[in-house]
Amino acid sequence: MDLSFFIYLSSGLFLGWSLGANDAANIFGTAVGTKMLRFKTAAFIASLFVILGAVYTGTGASRTLGELGNVNTLAGAFMTALAAAISIYWMVKAGILVSTSQAIVGAIIGWNFYSGKETDYSILSQIVSTWVVCPILSGCIAVILYIAIKTFLRHSHVHLLRQDCYTRLGLILAAAFGAYALGANNIANVMGVFVDSSPLKGFSLPGGLTLNDTQVLFLIGALSICIGIFTYSHKVINTVGNNLMKMSPMIAWIVVVSQGIVLFMFASSALKNFLDSYSLPSLPLVPVSSSQAVIGAVLGIGLAKGGHTIHWPLIGRIIFGWLTTPIMAALLCYISLFFLQNVFNQVVYQ
Amino acid sequence: MFHISVSLFSQTKALESKIDLFHDKLLDIAMTFKKAIQVFLSEGRSENYKKTSKHIKQIEHDADCLRRDIESKLYTQNLIPDLRADVLQLVENLDRVINRFDEVTYKFFIERPEIPSEYHSRIIELCDLTATCAENMGKASRAFFRDLSSVRDYSQKVYFIEHESDLSSGHLRNAIFDSDLPLANKIQISDFINEIADIADLAEDFIDELLIFTIKRDI
Repeated sequence: MDLSFFIYLSSGLFLGWSLGANDAANIFGTAVGTKMLRFKTAAFIASLFVILGAVYTGTGASRTLGELGNVNTLAGAFMTALAAAISIYWMVKAGILVSTSQAIVGAIIGWNFYSGKETDYSILSQIVSTWVVCPILSGCIAVILYIAIKTFLRHSHVHLLRQDCYTRLGLILAAAFGAYALGANNIANVMGVFVDSSPLKGFSLPGGLTLNDTQVLFLIGALSICIGIFTYSHKVINTVGNNLMKMSPMIAWIVVVSQGIVLFMFASSALKNFLDSYSLPSLPLVPVSSSQAVIGAVLGIGLAKGGHTIHWPLIGRIIFGWLTTPIMAALLCYISLFFLQNVFNQVVYQ
Repeated sequence: MFHISVSLFSQTKALESKIDLFHDKLLDIAMTFKKAIQVFLSEGRSENYKKTSKHIKQIEHDADCLRRDIESKLYTQNLIPDLRADVLQLVENLDRVINRFDEVTYKFFIERPEIPSEYHSRIIELCDLTATCAENMGKASRAFFRDLSSVRDYSQKVYFIEHESDLSSGHLRNAIFDSDLPLANKIQISDFINEIADIADLAEDFIDELLIFTIKRDI
């Protein structure tokens, strides 16, 4: 393994960094913004659980991305991840919330077109359907939690101060769970395209802990997410704040838990196997957008409250972002691969 | 982590008791005020009145200590960051009502107004209304911390009683200015009636703010 691998991997690491900076704000943004949790405490918990989620549960969703497009050279993987990262950067700069999952899926399809590989449309339709199902499911879970908690609080007569204590503890647990689910589900976005071309080898740690080749790659990706969390997410929290809807700490807890549940449902092989074994309907293991899950949850609660508090023009911009991000990433990837192959003489597919 | 949680819960419990105690002080002072005015009207500035007045002063002092303690603990322990400003405002406003009870009692002690006996029952009735208004205000405030759905019930009572006290004080002042009392005496008694009725007005203002805080507190 030479240094060039890490140069190629840099685009994935950059994607991981931006995921950490942006999506961590979804997990503990309101908790930190309302001063319920200190930034350092939240960032530490989130980082630890992102790593655990990515390393131990990350493979399921990444396999589905591999089925969509088996990016089989490092240069191709580099450009696929870079095209996704640049698309996200442009959209964010234009003030539009975007999904890393959609960008990477768009970029993979761009690579498929360029390399002449056939796109598995059944997998693609499965992935695209999750873009719709994910926010709806998250919204439904959030509404159920919202009604349950509201009813509980109305009848339990918990003192305001005690409720504050429980919320604080709940936010810590939700941040841990949300981060675990984010790592498990979204590591595929960051490192998924490098799985087939990675020269990294697994190793054993003292204490009998063994990491296979993919887990080592995911560990590196998770560390880049952690760097994003520590270096930039605080700034995102301060800038973005409560744009979509003003949230109380309790609502923030519901949003994070709903998002965590949805991401976990789309990432856990164990859960899928369990449901399949009882012939129950299960969800495909696909990387979904944590931002979409958050937006779905916030919208669900907003509608349950009567819909007066929702900033509707922003919703329009988000939907616009959802439609344009994959198309932009696909086009950008296609054009960039052409340049990488013909100007820089790199092998972008085999 | 476990230690932090346990310590946070024990601190919270201690502060919960203090907030409850602070509300108890409001109820205490409202009832003692009623008694003090009755004593003054029947005995004037007697030893009994002095004792009751001193008791009111002590309640006011204890409430002040509790208020300071609650305010500083809310900040130092970084509790309820999103609602802290509202709770501080609420505690301050409650304290303002407590202070007003003390001020009016003290004013009776200093100025010793001469109130003809035909007005005693109506002044006692006004004090009764004012004290009941403050009691319901205290109950609404306590409900804000534990039982949001009851806040509205107590608030309605406060609005109703405040209106009754306005009517009662208006009729009483009318009757006083229609009487043959010297003008200085009329003005002094009218001023006392205003001071008593103002307590109910303060309670009404408190409830207006409390209802807004309740909307904010609802998830």
